[in-house]
Amino acid sequence: MGTLVVENVVAGYGSGPNILKGLSLTVESGKAYCIIGPNGAGKSTLIKVIAGLLKPREGKIFFKGEDITPLRADQVLQRGLCYVPSDRSLFPDMTVKENLRMGGFVMRDTRKVDERIDELFAQFPILKEKSSQMAKTLSGGQQQLAAIARAMVLKPEMIMLDEPSLGLSPKVVQQIFGTITTLRDQGLTILLVEQNARKGLQIADMGVVLDLGTNSFEAPACDVLNDPRIQELYLGKRHQAVAAEECK
Amino acid sequence: MIQVIQILILGIALGGVYALMSSGMTLIFGVMRIVNLAHSAFIVLAAYLAFFVFKTFNIDPIVSMAFTMPVMFLVGVIYYRLLFASRADNPRFADITVLVTFATALVIEGILAFIFTGIYRSTTPTYAKTSINFGPFFIPQSQLYALIISIVLIVGLWMFMRYTRIGNAIRATMQNRNAAQVVGVNVTWISTLSFGIGLAMAGAAGSLLSFVFTFYPAKHIAWIGMIMCLVVLGGMGSLVGALVSSFLLATAAAYVNFYFGAAWSPITFYLSLFLILLFRPQGLFGKKVEG
Repeated sequence: MGTLVVENVVAGYGSGPNILKGLSLTVESGKAYCIIGPNGAGKSTLIKVIAGLLKPREGKIFFKGEDITPLRADQVLQRGLCYVPSDRSLFPDMTVKENLRMGGFVMRDTRKVDERIDELFAQFPILKEKSSQMAKTLSGGQQQLAAIARAMVLKPEMIMLDEPSLGLSPKVVQQIFGTITTLRDQGLTILLVEQNARKGLQIADMGVVLDLGTNSFEAPACDVLNDPRIQELYLGKRHQAVAAEECK
Repeated sequence: MIQVIQILILGIALGGVYALMSSGMTLIFGVMRIVNLAHSAFIVLAAYLAFFVFKTFNIDPIVSMAFTMPVMFLVGVIYYRLLFASRADNPRFADITVLVTFATALVIEGILAFIFTGIYRSTTPTYAKTSINFGPFFIPQSQLYALIISIVLIVGLWMFMRYTRIGNAIRATMQNRNAAQVVGVNVTWISTLSFGIGLAMAGAAGSLLSFVFTFYPAKHIAWIGMIMCLVVLGGMGSLVGALVSSFLLATAAAYVNFYFGAAWSPITFYLSLFLILLFRPQGLFGKKVEG
């Protein structure tokens, strides 16, 4: 029994077509999952459905055994399941500290939120340095860090990251993935959606390939990295040797 | 010179009420992207409420705020829930709001004309007829009271937005609706509340202007143009912007009124609207609208 179970979820936007077409997925506690797949496969949609931001048309989602399908987004957060959107979604005209405070919005105890922010400042010194700057003045990498820290305010058991490398330089991507690895090593369950499939799979335990709204392939990240079909489709042939080498 | 300063005093006094009139509209736009063309109609409605309780129960219009504000808050909550809440995700939401609120304004105007007829009204508490003199200058007592109360309300709203948990959630929703949802803000609830607060401000404005201006059911047409100019000049969604532009334009209009005649003073508003749209379309304190 996984910590997060997605069962036959069908979902789409407004009156539009189904994006997810009967998707099932089981995420086990303490592991890092990387979801890859072409544009339009439903990667971001899946995360929004799990986060409670989009109601599925069919199917159910369980977190730690509880049916969270009918819950609102704030209730899902309170269960310990947080989400970092691909556009970072910071509040541009609030300071870094105010952004982190908003991360603790569903906690009513503001003193606890401030304590938690201090812990996070210790973990991410750069954010402490910038704490009174407006979020819009941060660099892309710093914004991504702030978004991750904002999700961590609630001390979640599981965190979902949508394309954390989007629009960042390779060096910064390296740092962000370092941070994600640290979170994984701290025992957090991670669900990562990544266009940069090779990088994502390298830090993941499991790889999940989405195609046309269904779960078409699920295997240990290493096997996904080394699967010739996946390499051809998503990783590019030239990465073949490298991928095999970097895999433990 | 005395005259120049006297006009400045009168302009500033009016600016306070203008700021109160536009604060609700800018809040409603900022949070929900609703262009509330009915805002001035709601203000006129509140003015009639104040007029009604003044005539019937002899309740002072300033005291009547304790009645008009909660009533208009409720009207706002119900109005938003009924007509807008379920459409907030519609890609043409902004277009819809323009039509729906304009229709609302006409409906309110019709109902008020039916009940109160088209006669010019105003409440007449004793302080509406006296002025306070200091040296060579004077300020009508009514305008002084309206100015002070307007500023107290706007500063109160600003502090609420700045320092309370709910106020922060409102600001967060204004800045990034998606992000607000991601951190667990119930944006539908926040929108409903903001609409209520916006109309409560309209309620307060109605009570105050009931003794500062005369009004009739179709008066909202003249006011919505002015309020739109103030809101756009300040930057749509910016409370501080609405405050600053209200004082700027009220003063400017007072000078135009004095030197060129009353017929020219509305031009001040529209001319400034053209200029700001030409040179700084996001307004004095506005943020460039995304998407």
